[in-house]
Amino acid sequence: MKETSNKYLISALLLGLAFHGSAIFFTLETTYDALIHLFFADHYANSWFEPWNYEWYTGFTVQSYPPLVHQTIGLLSLIGGLKFGMFSVALIAIVLFITGTYRFSLLMTSNKTVAGYATVLAVFSSSFVETLHIFGQLPSIVGVSVLMHALPEIYLWLKTGEKWYLATSLSLIAVTVTSHHVTPIFGMIFFIFPLIGMVLMDVSREQVNSMKEVTFKVFLNSFFKLFKRIVSFGMLSLVLIIGCIFPYWLNSKANPITQVPIPHGSRDNFLEITSSGLVFFLIPWGVLLIVLPYIFYRYYSKRYLFFGLSITICTILGTGGTTPIPLKMLGETAFNILTLDRFTLWASIMSIPLLGEFAYRLVEGDLKTLIQTKFGAIYHRIIGGILAGLFVSMVIFTMSLGYFRPSQPQKIKMLPIVNFLNQDDHDKWRFLTLGFGDQMAWLSAQTNAMTVDGNYHSARRLPELTTRPIERLENSKFKGVAGIGSLQQFLTTPEKYNLKYIFSNDKFYDPILYFCGWQRLRQLENGIMVWERLNIPPVSSILPKEDVAKWLKIHWGIMPFLTVLIAFILNIQMLWVNMLKTRVKPIPDFLKYPVAYTKFNRNVLRITHIWSFILAIIMCYGIYLFYLKNDTQRSPENAIMAYYDALDFKEFEKAHSLIDPESNLPIAQYMLEISVTDGLLSSYAKMDAIETEITKHNDSTVSAKVTSQWITPLEKIEKVDYKSLSKHKGKWYLQPDDLNNDLPPDQLYSDNATKYFNQGRRRITTEQTHHEDILKQPVLEVVSAKLVKYNGSYAIIGEVQNIDNVPADVILKGTLYNDNNKQLATYNAKYHVKHKLMPKESSSFRINFEGIAWSKTQDSIPDTFNPDEFTPVEFEEQPTKFNLQVAGNVSGSDLYKNVVLSAVNFNKGTIHGNLFNSGLQEITIPQLLITYYDANKEMLWVDHLFVKAGVRQQRKQDFEYQILKDGTVKIINSDMENIFVNGLPNDAISSKIVPNRIKKRSDAQLQKIDHPNFSYIKIEINTYIGSPN
Amino acid sequence: MQIKKTHIIQLVLILLSGFAVAQQHEQTATIKPVTMKTEYEVGSSIVLKFPATKAIAPLLYCSNSYGSTLISGNRENQELHYKIPDNISEKIGLINWQLLDAKTPVSGNISITPKAEVATMETYIGPPSIEAGGTDYTMLVVIPTDSLDNPVPNNTAVHANFQFLDSEEKEAILTNNLIAFKNINSKKESGRMLVSSECLGINSKEFTINVFAAIPTNFRISSTRPHDYADGNQITTFSTSIIKDRHNNVVSDGTFVTFIITNAENNILKTTGTTIDGVATSKIIHPDFKDQWRITAFVDGMAESNGITLNYKQVIEDFEVSFSNNNRTILVGPLQSFMEQMIPDGLQVKLLVFKGDKLFKTLTKTSFNGYANFTLKPAIFENETYNFELKTAGKTKVFKSKKLW
Repeated sequence: MKETSNKYLISALLLGLAFHGSAIFFTLETTYDALIHLFFADHYANSWFEPWNYEWYTGFTVQSYPPLVHQTIGLLSLIGGLKFGMFSVALIAIVLFITGTYRFSLLMTSNKTVAGYATVLAVFSSSFVETLHIFGQLPSIVGVSVLMHALPEIYLWLKTGEKWYLATSLSLIAVTVTSHHVTPIFGMIFFIFPLIGMVLMDVSREQVNSMKEVTFKVFLNSFFKLFKRIVSFGMLSLVLIIGCIFPYWLNSKANPITQVPIPHGSRDNFLEITSSGLVFFLIPWGVLLIVLPYIFYRYYSKRYLFFGLSITICTILGTGGTTPIPLKMLGETAFNILTLDRFTLWASIMSIPLLGEFAYRLVEGDLKTLIQTKFGAIYHRIIGGILAGLFVSMVIFTMSLGYFRPSQPQKIKMLPIVNFLNQDDHDKWRFLTLGFGDQMAWLSAQTNAMTVDGNYHSARRLPELTTRPIERLENSKFKGVAGIGSLQQFLTTPEKYNLKYIFSNDKFYDPILYFCGWQRLRQLENGIMVWERLNIPPVSSILPKEDVAKWLKIHWGIMPFLTVLIAFILNIQMLWVNMLKTRVKPIPDFLKYPVAYTKFNRNVLRITHIWSFILAIIMCYGIYLFYLKNDTQRSPENAIMAYYDALDFKEFEKAHSLIDPESNLPIAQYMLEISVTDGLLSSYAKMDAIETEITKHNDSTVSAKVTSQWITPLEKIEKVDYKSLSKHKGKWYLQPDDLNNDLPPDQLYSDNATKYFNQGRRRITTEQTHHEDILKQPVLEVVSAKLVKYNGSYAIIGEVQNIDNVPADVILKGTLYNDNNKQLATYNAKYHVKHKLMPKESSSFRINFEGIAWSKTQDSIPDTFNPDEFTPVEFEEQPTKFNLQVAGNVSGSDLYKNVVLSAVNFNKGTIHGNLFNSGLQEITIPQLLITYYDANKEMLWVDHLFVKAGVRQQRKQDFEYQILKDGTVKIINSDMENIFVNGLPNDAISSKIVPNRIKKRSDAQLQKIDHPNFSYIKIEINTYIGSPN
Repeated sequence: MQIKKTHIIQLVLILLSGFAVAQQHEQTATIKPVTMKTEYEVGSSIVLKFPATKAIAPLLYCSNSYGSTLISGNRENQELHYKIPDNISEKIGLINWQLLDAKTPVSGNISITPKAEVATMETYIGPPSIEAGGTDYTMLVVIPTDSLDNPVPNNTAVHANFQFLDSEEKEAILTNNLIAFKNINSKKESGRMLVSSECLGINSKEFTINVFAAIPTNFRISSTRPHDYADGNQITTFSTSIIKDRHNNVVSDGTFVTFIITNAENNILKTTGTTIDGVATSKIIHPDFKDQWRITAFVDGMAESNGITLNYKQVIEDFEVSFSNNNRTILVGPLQSFMEQMIPDGLQVKLLVFKGDKLFKTLTKTSFNGYANFTLKPAIFENETYNFELKTAGKTKVFKSKKLW
């Protein structure tokens, strides 16, 4: 019999390439993973055999991820660039997946038409669409596709014992290993073990007359018969799994993953966090959910029994944290390291052959007959239409997910950033991106400059990062307090990492950058704001690396392509035969077990009907709940929730639509009122949680106490609002709030100010800055400094003054020692100092020693990290001495000083006051530095307060500050011997420039307070201007 | 006798010849260079010549502070010529040489002296800014070098030129061990000093030193205001006299001055300003109640001012309060200013609500068109009896036992 081309397979290939091949150009770059693989590819393109990469995480090894896909992209990039490489590999992956499904389906169903059906359906299966177009997991797709190619070969080896099949199957396993490490390991368990079981069943079947006669005894006999083949295959593939990526295993042993578990959506309770349930359960399963009874029915038939067990386990594991079973099955460690969505992916792939079978039976097989005879032809058509409609809509929904709910920020033009890094030696420092999403990998691929961040958290080595449950510093705002806290540590001590430039694509981070002592440089053409920090040394020209043996490097560079080459040589013959039908080939063994599709089980049809009905009810109920939750004016709670959500996302038109129309507040007026409120809370806060307490008065009026938690870059804020709501025509509306009516006295006014400009290098030259262009570092004086202990935490407090004639940027670095002069901790001043000082201006400061400051970082980090909490210190190592290094650099930016403390009142432990903005800039975030003194006017402590609202020009803003509760401050050391300014001793400077310091007047600004532990306070004001003009 | 004479002559000749042989031996033991010159000017070609006596020419080892080398000789006219390579002869200093003759090494040295010419001049000056008054200084360092990058001879005169205000000065500095340097002390005045230097006809480029004023000395302050009413709306401006250092230089622009205001309740308010041409100005909004301000200013730790006192007159002597809507709406006003005009919008009105004696809630509103309106939301204020205190413009009104329902 002449073999005919399988038209289903060919149409599946054409359809798949046309559909996915064109769609990837719009989806792949915005997926989670694709750009990471691109970065790795860029590494191989530049240094194929050197596994050490300096660009991320202060250095990591690419031997931490199997290289095949990356190397392929890297190789192709030499022809047409990195993206060409990526899209080419994606196309290859599509072809591999489609052909792989075909072969797998053929193996399972022994029927070419059914396999063809399965292949066509696989092209549009929502799990594949999601993995490719939303997750961008290319290595995973390649791995699982090649594994599917390997399965028939394994079957044939086990069944026939022909060594040729052993060779082909092992060659394909090797390719799988080099493209993705997890796939073959779990593939062994979930695909190959059941396959062995299936072979044993088939062998047993041959020994008896019918499937029913296959008893356990027969099965055991066949097992012993095939034992040698199974073991030889198992051992050899184990050798390959270890051998092909041996450097990977070696590296995992040498650098075990120390990363604390990072939360992943696939481990959520899908019923609680419905978005995770959608992405990690509903979408990958898709229409398969409806035919689930059929799939289980078929897989629990005797021949497929082991696949039945396998798919059951995968299904259960795929449910993540919804039930406690996966946690118990995998154990705490594995549960927290693995992303569980892969189990669902495998389960869905395993279901594809049977989906094909179901479709075949529904379209032209016995199911059609059954339905038509039982329910009539029209019903059959309707059912078919509904299923097809659901299938197509699932694909469209999945594809559009990235469009309606983008997982990434808008595409950023990288060229201006790349140019910036290339000019003026900017790449001699490390950089950090903020708000770039996964595009940071694309930036890294395009530049040689290094970043402290990175996008492959398994390879991290810095304890500051591995001890935090955050993915990247870059998106730390989504990780709440822990994320922001981790970022703060990098921003406060950037010199430790030679971190000088920050590219910010998210204005949210601006305040934290400012208050950590960073300054704006300029905005690039693509809208990215560049921030810089002064006094950072460049990255040293020789960097540490963990070298590996030369043979490991060569192994890593050669092995992946070698496996592909061998697999190609061994399998291409097969392919050739299959494709071109050049010669008649004996029918493979697995085609000898076809299932007769003659009589569809009535019970299965019934159960499928019931199951579909249940699914439909669950779905309707889900949609109903969704409607209830999202019908914004149904209940007062919904109205408040919607209003706050709208404010959080700056959807002011929507917010206005929830304002009582009877209050006659036009949108123009509303927008105006919104636009004049600036500040930490209204411009830089992200709502974290909201709670409403409703007090009902009558059917149409209620009052609500709204407690909302906001994450701001600086601190967590709890805000309590009291809102009134009223009901009109069945809809709830909020009453508008009152305005601040403060009227400034002047319509137009003028102000003079001294401004500064630093030329940088005056000559246009690529040489180092000329000697005479280098400004003198401004001379600072530490007026007082002492080491104190308050509430169990140590701090260096004091006062620093710019005694030069130019404005200075101040960086204070404190180090603590014990009695034996052993260094215990070092840290920089963060919020508690005015980082920019005008000539002769002074500022109180406090240096906290938090988190990473302590030498024994690993031990001292608490499980639940909170940047406002201090890390306790071991008791035998008490700091007793300190060293303070102060560095001044000329800076002309952020020198706005026109803020006035215009009223102040003391009332039972609280200070009420007004800030008045007398200048020309709008103050976005005012900060108060409150210094506490004892009865002898000796400094004891420094505290701060961020005023939540901004201050507009010539307007007042009131603030309220809680004076610290009782608690004695213990002065440990007030010896000023080890204080250095720009590397010179502080004493010499102070005696030279200000020999006779007048203390009296400075003391006159101290305000007497009534407090058991403190006698005086001083209030200083620091301001952050969000948009200077 | 004749024979005897001949014999004697022969004997003498033999003896003499033997002496001659001995002399010849002695000469090979101490080869002296043909030329005995030991001092050369840098850059000139140096050839060491030795009489050539043997067929083999030994190597010449020579070294200077940059390194060592071996030179093979050329035989010319019964002489061995050793040319010292340029990279050695173009550096000043001592060259040690040694003829590597196996038996009796001959050695010597040559000193290369600098040329009295200047091709390039490296000039450094720093720090680029100093303080006026005579104590602070900056250092000028000049390194004149010849065309071969060798320093000029010691005690070569470098002429430094200084221009500062009206004066132009010249001063000769002598080089010593490669460099010429001078500490330049500031003068009493502040300003900009230009410095250049010249050596053997070659001039440096221009260098700038900024001489900033020294730390400020005490100064006086004054104030201006549109009126003396405590309306909480107008702005009082403080300014300093021209702040100068002790040498009468105006302090540098941007000098930070703090104004401290102590009010009648001994609370301390604060406003700041930076100087322009020595004068710092600073603004503050008027209080909204009768007050007396004592104002002083200072530059932290360095200078202070006299004290001045300002009085602000009360504008609102009394105000009315009306309760309506189950006592849940409280209208305050009209609030009228000194000419009976409605007070400008924004006057703060505070409502303190007490449950019994305990402060329950403080509400703050700003006046609008002369009125302030409080609405007590039922969510916060349950139906109970409260005591109210209304405060505005320093005046307080108390309303006891008001029942809300």
